[in-house]
Amino acid sequence: MDHASFVGVDNISLSISRGEFLSIVGHSGSGKTTLVSIVGGILKPTSGKVLLDGVDICTLDDNRLSEYRAQRIGFMFQFASLLPILTAQENVLLPGIFNPASKKGGSDKLAQDLLEMVGIGDKKDAYPAQLSGGQQRRVAIARALLNSPDIILADEPTGDLDEETEAEIMDLFEEINKEQGVTIILITHNLELAGKAQKRLRMSRGAFVDV
Amino acid sequence: MAKISFISVALKNLKRKTFRTGVLVFSIALLVSLLIFAISFTVSVASSIKKSSERLGADLVVVPVGARGFAEEFLLESKNTTFYMPISIVEKVKKIDGIEAITHHTYLSSISGLCCDIMPTRIVAFDPETDFIINPWLQKSLGRPLQVGEAIAGSGTSENLGLGLLDIEATIFNNRFKIVGVLEKTGTGLDHALFMTEENLKNIIESGKSPLKKGDISIIFTKLKKGLDPDYVGRVLEGEIPEVDVMARSDMGEKFLSTLADINKIFLLTTFLASVLTTFLVWAIFSAIANERAKEIGIMRALGAKESHIVHLYLLEVLVLGILGSTIGVLAGTYLSALLADSFSLLKNISAGLSAGQQVTIAAVGLMIGTAICVAGAMMPINRIKKMEPLLVIKED
Repeated sequence: MDHASFVGVDNISLSISRGEFLSIVGHSGSGKTTLVSIVGGILKPTSGKVLLDGVDICTLDDNRLSEYRAQRIGFMFQFASLLPILTAQENVLLPGIFNPASKKGGSDKLAQDLLEMVGIGDKKDAYPAQLSGGQQRRVAIARALLNSPDIILADEPTGDLDEETEAEIMDLFEEINKEQGVTIILITHNLELAGKAQKRLRMSRGAFVDV
Repeated sequence: MAKISFISVALKNLKRKTFRTGVLVFSIALLVSLLIFAISFTVSVASSIKKSSERLGADLVVVPVGARGFAEEFLLESKNTTFYMPISIVEKVKKIDGIEAITHHTYLSSISGLCCDIMPTRIVAFDPETDFIINPWLQKSLGRPLQVGEAIAGSGTSENLGLGLLDIEATIFNNRFKIVGVLEKTGTGLDHALFMTEENLKNIIESGKSPLKKGDISIIFTKLKKGLDPDYVGRVLEGEIPEVDVMARSDMGEKFLSTLADINKIFLLTTFLASVLTTFLVWAIFSAIANERAKEIGIMRALGAKESHIVHLYLLEVLVLGILGSTIGVLAGTYLSALLADSFSLLKNISAGLSAGQQVTIAAVGLMIGTAICVAGAMMPINRIKKMEPLLVIKED
């Protein structure tokens, strides 16, 4: 199969309401990450639109897209995505230096509060190498929340964690969704975890199928 | 204090691979120290020659034919050389159109034990009536004319003779002289001489201890009328008086400047090769950095970093490396220049030295060039870094 004929996402139409908690499940290669990347503005679709409050982000240039991500999206990745040279608190503050428009971004107190909210306020000066996998995920959640995003895109955030830690992370997502009204799109291959979301969708070969 | 910024992230990045950072800083420091040494050497020699010839105050210097090199050695390098011509040449030079003022000196060399009880020293006998070379300095230091039986030491000579007090007596060519003062530093070869009036020469010749004959002089200094071209008048002089060689002020130090030009070519080639090597090293290291940190860059882009933010971050690393390495290079190069000055005969014998302004300018040039080379080497990898597709690098394993 050559790249020209590869279809990552095929004729998707999706509408997400503000404050919704959506989970998308599917096997590897089903197009989940591609879809989330398009929504997050780090991948442009071959055709189609992504409308956020009426603005088609696919028409934005690279700088505007970066601003969009900085101000409105919180990313969580499949892997431990912290910068090893920064402490937990500094990692939380990192998006703030890319978003100078945010008045809240860059505040030590805000970072401390976020770390406490995710349950690791006492680890603010620890480096990622000194944190467990679960603790690193918590720091990543806190970082995703720094700029008060509209949407958190979490791509298999609990992939390599034990069940107990997975559950704790999911509880955090639920809490953030309920208390702060942040829209969450969670990618997972775990049906049980997916069940914790308000809405569940399944993808296969780039398209939605019934759950 | 957790608050972070681009510069704090850049500094942390540099700290994480200390050895690599050290290698880069060391390379840039080496390059810049070589550059500083080369420039300091060249500027020091060239400006000393220029200053020396200006301070002599003469537009033309007339010496016996074939003695041009000896004269330069005496005036610029402080070497003990003697050369003579008859005093009748002075009258011939006076007749040339355009000569406004004229004076002459006679040079002797003392030899300890044979003629004199001082260490080997150059002796300059001058005509106090016509002199315009020594008198200005004499007025500053002594405030009165020198008498017969008196001598005054150049600033370098006084150190060599260990003169710290006035009224020291010495035997020079069987004649007792009272050394009554020290001349202010002139920055020329005259700093390493003892000065006396030519009235003393009669007694010196009668002592039989010197090679000097009655009526011998060594060198004639002339000032020209305003607006005249020294090169033209010099050619006329040489044409009219074939037994002399004439040097214009601008020609002084030609031998040194020619040697300097050759040395400069070697410095230029060496510095160019070192610059190319350093540029490649920076390029190689930043290319490695780009590969190592691809995922981090993808993460930062996903978090909202623009291309310009990524460039800013890496450019800060490059600038810190460049400035740090260049600063160390400037200090090392300046120190090396001072340390090795005595190893080069070209610097050892002339009154070489840089003014504070020259040193600052050379340091600034070294700093700019070192930093610029660092930036140049890193630009291609930084360009590649900023264009990385976030999703591709994030998904790489």
